[in-house]
Amino acid sequence: MPKTEYLQGALDLLILQTLALGSNHGWGIQQRIRQVSRESLSVSQGSLYPALHRLEAAGLLSSEMAASENNRKARIYTLTAAGRKRLQSEAEDWKEFALAIRRVLQTG
Amino acid sequence: MLKTFRRLIQRRRVARELDDELRFHVEMETDANVARGLTPDEARRRALAEFGGVVQTREAVGDVRRFSIESLWQDTRYSARVLGANPAFSLAAIGMLAVGIGVTTAMFTVVDALILRPVPFHAPEQLAHVWMGNDRGGRGTVAPAVLRAWRESPAFLGAESADVTTAVVEATGALTTRRIARVTPGIFELLGGVRPVAGRLFDSTEGRAGADDRVLLGEPAWRALFNGDPSIVGQRIRLDGEPVTVVGILPASFRFPAWDTALWRPIDFDSPPPALRAARATAYVRFAPDVPREDALRMATDAARAAHAENADLRPWVFPLAGFHFDVSAYPRHAVSLLTGGVLLVFLVLCANVCSLLLARVTARRREFSMRGALGASRGRLIRQALVESGVIGAAAVVVGVAVAWGLVSAARALLPDAFLLRTLNPLAIDLRALGVTSIAGVAATLGIGLLPAWLGTRVNAGDSLRISDRGGTEGRGARAVTRTLLVAEIALACALLAGATLLVRSFMNLTAADRGLDAAGVATLTMSLPETAFPDAGARRAAAQAIEDRLRQLPSVQQIAWSYGLPPSGGAISFGDWVSDLPDAPPVNMLIEHIWVGPEFFSLYRIPLLRGRTFEASDGRDAVIVGERLAAALWPGVDPVGRTFRRDKQQYQVIGVARETHYPTLDATADRPEFYQRHAGVGSYASLSLRCGSNCPDPAVLRRHVADVHPRVQVHEAGPLEAVYLEQQAVPRATAALGVAFAAVALLAAAGGLFSVLSYAVGRRRREFGIRAALGAAPAQLRRVVIRDGLAVALAGLTLGALLAALLSRGLAWLQYGVTPGDPLSLVTVAGTIGVTTLLAAWRPARAAARVDPARLLREE
Repeated sequence: MPKTEYLQGALDLLILQTLALGSNHGWGIQQRIRQVSRESLSVSQGSLYPALHRLEAAGLLSSEMAASENNRKARIYTLTAAGRKRLQSEAEDWKEFALAIRRVLQTG
Repeated sequence: MLKTFRRLIQRRRVARELDDELRFHVEMETDANVARGLTPDEARRRALAEFGGVVQTREAVGDVRRFSIESLWQDTRYSARVLGANPAFSLAAIGMLAVGIGVTTAMFTVVDALILRPVPFHAPEQLAHVWMGNDRGGRGTVAPAVLRAWRESPAFLGAESADVTTAVVEATGALTTRRIARVTPGIFELLGGVRPVAGRLFDSTEGRAGADDRVLLGEPAWRALFNGDPSIVGQRIRLDGEPVTVVGILPASFRFPAWDTALWRPIDFDSPPPALRAARATAYVRFAPDVPREDALRMATDAARAAHAENADLRPWVFPLAGFHFDVSAYPRHAVSLLTGGVLLVFLVLCANVCSLLLARVTARRREFSMRGALGASRGRLIRQALVESGVIGAAAVVVGVAVAWGLVSAARALLPDAFLLRTLNPLAIDLRALGVTSIAGVAATLGIGLLPAWLGTRVNAGDSLRISDRGGTEGRGARAVTRTLLVAEIALACALLAGATLLVRSFMNLTAADRGLDAAGVATLTMSLPETAFPDAGARRAAAQAIEDRLRQLPSVQQIAWSYGLPPSGGAISFGDWVSDLPDAPPVNMLIEHIWVGPEFFSLYRIPLLRGRTFEASDGRDAVIVGERLAAALWPGVDPVGRTFRRDKQQYQVIGVARETHYPTLDATADRPEFYQRHAGVGSYASLSLRCGSNCPDPAVLRRHVADVHPRVQVHEAGPLEAVYLEQQAVPRATAALGVAFAAVALLAAAGGLFSVLSYAVGRRRREFGIRAALGAAPAQLRRVVIRDGLAVALAGLTLGALLAALLSRGLAWLQYGVTPGDPLSLVTVAGTIGVTTLLAAWRPARAAARVDPARLLREE
C-alpha cells in the first residue's frame, strides 16, 4: 500500500481540525499539529502535501496562492462548508473508534 | 472527466505552483532553524533533510492530483498479488471463463465458416450452381450446348462447368483415392481471385482431346502425397493409371466445387477427349450484375430451350454459392444453430458461476474493504479495485481462452464429420475477427459480472470492519439472494442442456441400433459407369461386366458378388404415383417407392429373407416383382400378395415374392422408403456391384485399381464398405450428441462447483449455529441433513425451472429425434437423477464439515 494511505483517516482528521481554527499554509499546519500534540505527532511533508491536495480535490478544502506573513508566495488552505461537515462526522466516528479500542485494551 | 481534462491542460501551472509551495515550506523551515540559532547554511541543509526529498513529495502529490495511469497500474499489481495469494480461486475463475471464451470462440469460428461467411470468391452473391428441372424433378447437369448458349447469353457474365468424382492417385509407389474435379478452363476466372501457389492455371485450349492430360494439385494433397516437392510442377504423375502433367499448385484456401477437392483436370465440351465424349456440364454461372434476376432467368430459360430439346418444359433451378445450404437435409444447419444455442447457455452458466465466485470472494474480503474504507478509500476507489481484479481475471481468461479455442478448432477440423464441412468452401481457421469479437465479449462479460459483486461487496460503512459484534464478515442479504438466484439459474440451464443432451444421445443410440433389415457388415459396394462411346451395345457391356466379376472373384476374401441397379440403403430409382392393387374397389395408394433391379443372388448376399413366394428366375419378365413388406401391407392389407398384381399408370406388375423390408435409419424420415425389386436383366450404362467379403474387405483403392486394370474405360464413382454409408448418416447425430453431452457436462460441473462453494461458505458462516446445535445434542447425521436439505432446495428450484426450459427446448429439438419422445420417462429420470446425484455430491463435503463442528473448539475460539 502506498504510504500516503497509511492512517489516512487520522491524518485527514488532524488537517481538518487544524484548518477549522483558521486558514493556513502547509508549513503552518505542520507546525500547529506538532505544537498542539505536544511534539508527539509529527506529520512528514511527504504525507502532508498529498493529503492536502487530495482533500482539496475532494472539495473539503479550497486554496489560493497568496503572500504569506513574511511576504513570500505561499498556498493558503481554507476549510470549505463540506469540510466542516466532514470534520464533525469524522470526529464522532473517531471518538467512537477510540472508545472501542480503549475498551478492548481495558478487557486485557 | 472534464475536470481531469482541464487538469491535464493546467498541469504545467499546477506543477509550477507545487514547486512554489514546496519551496515556501523549505524556506519557512530554514527561517525557523535560523531563529533557533543555526547558521543559514546548516538551517537549510536540515530543512531539506527533514523534508525528505522534494522530488518524492512532488510525485506523491501528483498521484493525488490526477486520476493517474500509475494508480491503475498500482491496482493491477495489487490485484495480481491478491489473485496469486488465492491460487485455487484464481485458477477456478480463470479456468471457467477461459473454457467459456474458448468454446464460444471455437463455435463462432465454426458457425462463421459454415454459415455466416460468404464463399471466398469475387462478388460471391452473383455466383450460382444451376440445375434444370420442373415440378416433378430436376437434374444437376446440362447438355454442353446449353452451357455454350449461356456463355453467349447477356443474362450471365460467364458459364463454366465443374464436376467432382474420385480418382486413384499413385504417389511414391502407394495408391490413394482423392476427389478430383473436371473443370472447364474458364472456371477460375469465373470465380475470380484464384492464384496458384506454384506453376500456372489452365490455358483456354487445355481440356480438348489430346490436351487434357494436365492436372492442378491442391496444396494439402501436394504436401501429403508429394511431400510438398516444388519440382513436381512440370512432372508427370499417374491418375487412374493414366500419366498426366502437373501444371500448378492451388492454395489450400481454394475449395471448389467441394471442400475436399484435391485435384483439377481440364475438360472442353466443344472437343472433349474420347472418354468424356458423352459428358454433360455441371453449370456454374456468374449473373450479370446489371440485369434483374427475373429477366436473367427468363433469358436463361429461353436460351436453354433453344439449345436443347430436353429443356422444353424445364426451367433453371438456381442454387446460390454464397451461404450454406443442404440439398438433401436441413439437419446440419439446424444442428449448428442448436449447438450455438447450447454454447451460449454454457457461456451463461460459466459467467454466472464466475460471478457468484467473485461475489463470495468480495464478501469474504469485506473486512479488507471496510478497513480500506475506514482509512479513507472512497467507494469508487474500492469498486475500481474490484473491477480491476475481475479485469485481470478476464485478461488472463482471454489469453487461456484463445489457446482453448485454438485447440478446439484444430480438433473440430480433424473430427467434425464431413457432412458438416461438405458444403462450406471456406477453410476452417480461427480468424482475427472472431478472436477479437469473443475476446472483447469475454472481457466485457468479466467486467460486467465483476460489477455486481463490486457493487454489493463494497457497500460498507467506516468502522464496520472493527465493530466488535462482527464475527468473520457476514454475507449480506443482497449478496445471499444474488448467489442463490444465480445458482438456481445455473442449475436450470444445466438441467435444460442435460435434457437436450439426453434426447440427442438416445436418438443417436436408437439410430445405431435401428433394424436395417439386412446384414451390411462385410459388404463392399461399387458404382460405375460404362460409357456408351466405349461400350456401344449390351454385348460389350455384358463382356466387361463378366470380366470385372471374374477378376474380383479371384480376390481371396470375396465370397459373393451381385450386380444390380441401385443399392441399399438409398435404393435405385424413386417411383412416385398412385399405386393400385388388384383387390376389388382398392383405393389408389399415393406413395414414394424405391425401385431396385436385382439378380437372384442379391437377397442371399444381403441376407434379406424372402418371407413368401420365390426369388427371380431367368424366365421372369419385366413385370415380375418382389415387394417389400411395407408396400405389401399398404396394397393388400391382411391378404397374401403372392400371385396378385398391381399397377401405376399403365404399368402392371405381378408379385412373385415378398422380401423383408429394409430400413435406412436416418433423421430424415422420408429417406426410408418402401421398396420393390425387379429382375436385373444385364448391366446398363450405370451399374452397381455388391461384394460380400467377410471381415477383411479389399481396400477401395485396390477395388478401383482392379476394375481399371480389367477395363480402363469403366469409370468407378464410389467404392467402399456399405457400413460407411450408414455411418455417414450417423456422423452428424453422433457429433451433435457428443457436443451436447460435453456442453451438459461442463454446465453440470460448473453448477456443482457453484453449489459446493455456496454451501461451504454458508456452513462456514453458520459454524456457531451448528456448534450450538451439536452442544444441545444434535446428532451429526441431523446436521448433515440440514446442509443437504439446503442444497436440495436450491437444486429443486433449479430443476423446476429447468424442466420448463427443457420442455421449450425439446419442442425445438423435435426434428432431430429418432425413436424418442421429449416426455420419454427414461430421459426424465436420467436428468432428475443426474441433477440429484450431482447435488448430493456437491453438498457432501460441506455437510460433513457441518457435522464435524466441535463445540469445545468453537468456544475456545471465542
